Amino acid sequence: MRKGFKARTQHQYVGSYRPRIDGREKASGRAEFFDDIALKIRFPGLLYAKILRSPHPHARIKHCDVSKAKELPGVKAILTYEDPEIAPLKPTNFAWTPFFSISYDRMLWPTYKDRKILSDHVCWVGDEAGVVVAAESEDIADEALKLLDIEWDILPFVLDPIEALEPDAPVIHPEINPDGNKIPTSPYSESDAFINRGDAEKALDEADEVIVVTSHYHNAEHACLGTRGCLMNWQGDELTCWTSYYQADQTRMHITQMLDLPLDKVRVINPYIGGSFGRGNMGEQGFFIFMALLAKRTGRPVLHKYTRREDFHDTRTAVSYECKMGAKKEGKITACAFKSRGDSGAYVDHSMAAVDFVPKEFAEETLAHIPNLRMETAVAYTNKIPGGCMRGIGNNQVNLVFGMAIDALAEKLDMDPIELCIKNFSHEWGTLPDKSLQAVLNEGAKRIGWAKRHKPGAGPFYEGVKKRGLGFSFHNSWHAAWQELPRGHIQVSLKVNPDGTVILDAPTAETGPGSNSCIVFACAEALSFLGVSPEDIQWISKTDTQRGLKDQVQTDSGVSYCHAEMMPRAAAKVKEQILGLAAPQLKVQPDELDIKEGRIFVKSDPEQGLTVEELFWEGDLVPILVTVSETLPDEVTGTPFCATFVEVEVDTETGRIDVLRSVVIHDPGTVMYASGAEGQQIGGQAMAIGETLTEEIVYDQATGVPLSFNWIDYKIPTMLEFPDVEPVLMEEWKGAGEYGACGIGESVTTCGPAAMANAIHNAIGVRVTEMPFGPNKILKALDSQIQDKTEANLMKDSE
Amino acid sequence: MNKITIKINGTPHDFELDRDLRPSDTLAYLLKEKMGFTGLKVACDEGACGACTVIMDGEAVLSCMTLAVEADGHDILTIEGLAQNDPVIESFAEQCEPGYGTAMQCGFCTPGFVMTAKAFLDENPNPTLDEVKEGLSGNLCRCGCYSAIAQAVLAAAKKIGAREGIE
Repeated sequence: MRKGFKARTQHQYVGSYRPRIDGREKASGRAEFFDDIALKIRFPGLLYAKILRSPHPHARIKHCDVSKAKELPGVKAILTYEDPEIAPLKPTNFAWTPFFSISYDRMLWPTYKDRKILSDHVCWVGDEAGVVVAAESEDIADEALKLLDIEWDILPFVLDPIEALEPDAPVIHPEINPDGNKIPTSPYSESDAFINRGDAEKALDEADEVIVVTSHYHNAEHACLGTRGCLMNWQGDELTCWTSYYQADQTRMHITQMLDLPLDKVRVINPYIGGSFGRGNMGEQGFFIFMALLAKRTGRPVLHKYTRREDFHDTRTAVSYECKMGAKKEGKITACAFKSRGDSGAYVDHSMAAVDFVPKEFAEETLAHIPNLRMETAVAYTNKIPGGCMRGIGNNQVNLVFGMAIDALAEKLDMDPIELCIKNFSHEWGTLPDKSLQAVLNEGAKRIGWAKRHKPGAGPFYEGVKKRGLGFSFHNSWHAAWQELPRGHIQVSLKVNPDGTVILDAPTAETGPGSNSCIVFACAEALSFLGVSPEDIQWISKTDTQRGLKDQVQTDSGVSYCHAEMMPRAAAKVKEQILGLAAPQLKVQPDELDIKEGRIFVKSDPEQGLTVEELFWEGDLVPILVTVSETLPDEVTGTPFCATFVEVEVDTETGRIDVLRSVVIHDPGTVMYASGAEGQQIGGQAMAIGETLTEEIVYDQATGVPLSFNWIDYKIPTMLEFPDVEPVLMEEWKGAGEYGACGIGESVTTCGPAAMANAIHNAIGVRVTEMPFGPNKILKALDSQIQDKTEANLMKDSE
Repeated sequence: MNKITIKINGTPHDFELDRDLRPSDTLAYLLKEKMGFTGLKVACDEGACGACTVIMDGEAVLSCMTLAVEADGHDILTIEGLAQNDPVIESFAEQCEPGYGTAMQCGFCTPGFVMTAKAFLDENPNPTLDEVKEGLSGNLCRCGCYSAIAQAVLAAAKKIGAREGIE
């Protein structure tokens, strides 16, 4: 039996080890996912849509004859880029918003409108091309696509982001940049050198020790088990959209803004969703638009569901970094210079956030006390799968090079990297040393046995050929300093029934992270004066824009915090209403009353009172109903930290890496749901290990065709490769509000890649820098090490 | 022979080829799309993830890799056929022990894991942790709840043993 974490303040339900509120529903197969609803047996007359996917990495449709496809029995409608519904649609992008609802005119990246709905211009193999078919079955729709007579204008393409920036490279989006593939500077930065504090170059020259580390982070894919899709159904002039995208309110906004519809005529429903991890870019996807039009044209419900192959749709943006760090002998870091080269793939979406927006935040939250700091970037379009959000945006990428740079610098200074971190890193609202960082790193070091770490490559062999190593990396917790303020008003409603049960409407798409359990526990906690337990609370699992409340979006791991902070406020309103009802009965003023364990009593004479149930059953039996729509507390509380420590074993003969142990430490303010948080800490390692070691999108370089869009070749870890993971939670930092919690869903993967890279270095004494760290890379690194040694020996001999 | 009979959760169902199903229809398609056994999830549709696992004559099979016609004359058990208090379902639902997390997050893979675990424990009622890992390595959980899933399977084994002891 493992020991649980120790809470700063003991609560009854918040922070407890309990089953998930949806555990039974999910374990018994009764939880309804999008796929379980979008069935012909539930929607008689359902049609199936299939969209043409580009076979070319870069091309334009010159001409498309649909007449043969139209004649195929069972084909009900074909929409093309030339149709009057499609051709006049506004250009757009799929990154209108980071997480709050936003209109077309206020979209986050207004300068990058590089997408057209059902475009005749395609930019990667698999890109949605300008024809969509609705038919009686998926097979017929697929067959119809084969009958299209298309004349393609095949254009030259480029896969490598460095080549893409060369002057003779084919230009992919002339409407964004007519001169080349460089994506114009972010609207939030003055220049590509978006941070330039002090004089990094001079400080590097003057430093006692300087290191340079490079890294490459590849396009990892979310690989959610549930694929993307939507089902559109018009009844008269009202459209209902069921979808496995997770931002109902933003989807409604997107559809109404693109199709010029009133908001009350579009209803969006999110049932249970099979994973998200930031996939897609929020509620805006082209398929909502052409599917709404297709359903309108056919007058029937239409379903579009991605196949597994098609679900390889967007990725974590690939970014290469170079990081220079300089320090004084005693370990004071005087300068950091980061240079990144981003690969946005075919569309920019959120890729600029990955190289500019989020690294800026990293600079504020971790590098605030480095006197000389320079960060610069350049991002290129290429003819590949687009980048975007995945458990954060750009955090893993910058952390990979940062984590390795610290390791390298500490080695050069002959210093413990943990000491180096504590000495130098904190956020801009705090001082050095940072308490949260200190606590996180010291606890991790203790648990992994850091004191026994050997020098790089100096450990013993196991089973003759295997070497082991320890490594760690840390990061600031994702967006903690924001306190989720940009979300605006947070809305929830509570209905307390006459029998004391509660219906809780705290809308959010349940994609897995467990915020629904947190919200229910926080609700029970807040209503403890009624004697309510989590089992008495029914949380409404389907998000539905027609219910009226704004949904909280499952991004930035903010939902538990946002909704939980509203619970004490809603509970206060419930109490006020009950006391108001009880006062005339007890012939006193409401402020003379209190409630404990479901009993209302006169404070000065506790014997005098009645139970809440009596109040209800002797009254009108109308439930108590309260709605809260309030903003979150706005105060500066800085940010806490998190870290991952790992032990790896490297087989020097085969190049295989096994992660033996992993310790994952988080300081989330208040642990809202211990089993859920530990589940995230553990689960995040599956993703981190997968994308660091085995997952890879491979292209045929000659044709631009992706070769690994399936789960045989894109290798996700199974239980067999999964190490023993020790989750550690602590409450050192605290944010604003009752709980002052921050999310951990992004940061559970952030530190993994750098920790593994450092552990590999510690094991074999040579640094691998290009993810994924497959056997090929390890063997190559070992070969170069042998070569270096041989050359060194020859040099020695010749001396 | 144009008729096939499949016993699903104890009830025989007759299907006429070409009228009720095509020879190319998978068992997953028949069960989910045609008959509404929605506990079954199809995530990859090519035998790589185990989400669509059902039990055929006591053995776990991938219903996306099994043709419906192959199930002719066989007994199929879907998750809907398990009792509400099935020890495997209960163990997955209840798992929350400190240090291991919960046995599911999004829950899309869970029915597949439950069915694989069910067949695995029938075969090996008293497994070690390593045997559980090996036995369930055909199922993917992208949320990564592997530690808790393994604990849930070990807990289910105990629960089954305890219940059999009572009987």
